[in-house]
Amino acid sequence: MTDAELVGRSRAGDRDAFGTLVGRYYDACWRFAYHMLGERADAEDVVQEAFLRAYLAIDRYDERDQFRGWLFRILTNQCHNALTSRGRRAKRFVQDAAAIEAAPAPPPGFAATVEDAALMRALAQLDPHQREALLLKYAQGLEYAEMSAMTGVGESALKMRVKRGSERMRGLLGGRDD
Amino acid sequence: MTDRESSLPSATSNDDPALAAELAALYARTPAAEPAQIARCTSAVLSAALPAPGAARTIGGLRFRWWWGAAAAALLIAVVTRPWRPDQAQQEADSAFVAAAAALEPRGLTVEERNGSVTRFDLTLPASTKAVSLVGDFNGWDEAATPMVRRASDGAWSTRVPLPPGRHVYAFVVDGQRWLVDPLAPQVPDAGFGPTNALIVGGTP
Repeated sequence: MTDAELVGRSRAGDRDAFGTLVGRYYDACWRFAYHMLGERADAEDVVQEAFLRAYLAIDRYDERDQFRGWLFRILTNQCHNALTSRGRRAKRFVQDAAAIEAAPAPPPGFAATVEDAALMRALAQLDPHQREALLLKYAQGLEYAEMSAMTGVGESALKMRVKRGSERMRGLLGGRDD
Repeated sequence: MTDRESSLPSATSNDDPALAAELAALYARTPAAEPAQIARCTSAVLSAALPAPGAARTIGGLRFRWWWGAAAAALLIAVVTRPWRPDQAQQEADSAFVAAAAALEPRGLTVEERNGSVTRFDLTLPASTKAVSLVGDFNGWDEAATPMVRRASDGAWSTRVPLPPGRHVYAFVVDGQRWLVDPLAPQVPDAGFGPTNALIVGGTP
């Protein structure tokens, strides 16, 4: 069944249809939120909040959009909200690689290699907008046009964010590979 | 379900292909969400959003649309003002105005009863009126001298006064405060104390 059909059924009150949509997109959302926020519990909360908002606003979903893009628009907003609201909370990202590897709660089954840990640490040090742009562009493999529609940011600004983010990542990772 | 993998990066014009590959690999190595986690999310969303949004707002199988209210308002306005029949709309508005004015305005009737020289004064007033009395040159303009009583049959205030033949000037006092004339009865020019009605009692021929 296509997304559009499932959305139609959800609007008609079919709760299982929305459950199917959640199952279909949860993983993509969760990966994005996890790398965006760097924390498993936060990511889970944010994804749940995003799905709840999507469910409540499903009447306002425009069929001409892709459901995935619409959902990610909500999700990116939620991620920014979460980042803003915890702005003054203590930084969870410990700068010490050893501390990261000894961290108590890595996602189960996530074999955090040294490379992964360094990548995640570098990601965490980026500006959230750069991190979002890098994740959408490189990890989700989206086109700039899609990213622009999703975030409401112009394509050239997104290209600049990706470029700056890449340079910053390179700089942060620079000392590692040699 | 299988289109999850399609979100992995394509070999498009990445600014930094090496970094893109690294990030994509990191992304791919991130463990998938556990089924329990997804189930938790689904049940939380569906229970937080009771009842289902679509089901809550159907009326007779139709989904409520925001413009229903606007259409109803437009229909009401069109029916009331009837822009295609301005003359009739005007006429109805006028008659409604007259009816409303009549309900609020006093309407009086002065009847000369020929058994003896008794004259009956009737005055219809809005229902909120509590007390009415008749004042005139025949009772020294005393508000307490001639109280009127409300007739049960039609709610008009009424009183009977024996009047000698001749010309009499009178008015009504409503609730002890407001002096009132019968707008339909003959009035005499204001002599400085407010308007009054005039009455000629035709004495015995």
